[in-house]
Amino acid sequence: MTTSAAPPPSPTNGASKSDAAPSAGSSRRGAPARARRRADTRFVLVCLLPALALFAVFMIVPTMNVFRMSLYTWSGFSPDMRFVGLDNFRHLLDDKQFVRAFQNTVALLVVVTVVTMGMGLFLAAIMTRQRLRGRNLYRFVLYIPNVLSVVVIAAIFSAVYDQENGLLNGTLRLLSLDGLQQVWLGNQKVVLYSVAIAMVWQSLGYYMVLYMSSMASIPEELYEASALDGASPARQFFALTLPLIWENLRTTLTFFIMSAVNLSFVLVRAMTGGGPDGSSEVLLSYMYKQAYTNSSYGYGMAIGVVIFAFSFLVSLLVSRATRREPLQF
Amino acid sequence: MKESTRTALLVAVRTLVAAACVTLVVTARTPVGWGNLLVMLAALAGLLALLASYNRRLR
Repeated sequence: MTTSAAPPPSPTNGASKSDAAPSAGSSRRGAPARARRRADTRFVLVCLLPALALFAVFMIVPTMNVFRMSLYTWSGFSPDMRFVGLDNFRHLLDDKQFVRAFQNTVALLVVVTVVTMGMGLFLAAIMTRQRLRGRNLYRFVLYIPNVLSVVVIAAIFSAVYDQENGLLNGTLRLLSLDGLQQVWLGNQKVVLYSVAIAMVWQSLGYYMVLYMSSMASIPEELYEASALDGASPARQFFALTLPLIWENLRTTLTFFIMSAVNLSFVLVRAMTGGGPDGSSEVLLSYMYKQAYTNSSYGYGMAIGVVIFAFSFLVSLLVSRATRREPLQF
Repeated sequence: MKESTRTALLVAVRTLVAAACVTLVVTARTPVGWGNLLVMLAALAGLLALLASYNRRLR
């Protein structure tokens, strides 16, 4: 049996070959490479096409439609659509109920975000760093609300806040604190905060578990070294834990701000319907009312444009404010 | 001023500013009006600025 093997390429051989015909050789090698690259690009595009088509049909087109419809006046049912330009936006400036809904949305966004993130971090730090007995049970109990449907949570809190037989007023009566009893979902001053408590209860466990998982991945040696340097648990939290989970914190904060706007709508809709007298109305519930109950679809879409711009701007600012180089450990 | 005193002072000021911003959001909600809404948005911007200033040191 004979075998023919090509001689090993010597540096001189290789050099002379490439020197002899550099352009012809590279173009001959380059042509199939270019063709393969083009075929790869075509393959990637074909693979992406279904996803891009779905994204365009279900995301881009409806969003553009919201913007377009905000320039029309339309009842939502009749075939008559009238172009009114920016009239819907001009009406928003005189609409007191819209301003109130905007104020409620901002209040919920700030209060619920600060309380949920603060408590989530605090509880996660305690559960991770302190060897609490039964911490798995606490984690389970705190996580349960996230598994429940938001409507179920609304029903639970409606029962808790019930004026006559509710858990809250009943407990206050039992403790002889009758003066503190309230019509929790009927008092214009407290109704929004009653909804805020339900929002915090719903999302606290989820964010706590997320932070716990990031905190658990921080090496124990770092804490031991800082303890040897005399760092207190509070100092360890601010100088060590917080910077090392910053990427997670940043993502959850941006995500939470967007989801809080949506969550407030569902809870308000299920618990108060925006009442009493519109005092718990939020932007999304007001938009829903205008578009689908009040038959002012175009006006509702103008509110939708404001919600879109506001959420987008706040998320962008949060993302910019919290941007930093990720730490490696 | 000692470094530790300066840090403690900075933390205290930041905490106070954050608390003031949240209080402003809560108190400005009750009277309905564009002016109050602008105050609330300014307080929200204050909180974001505070977050950015805390983050700038570690960026």
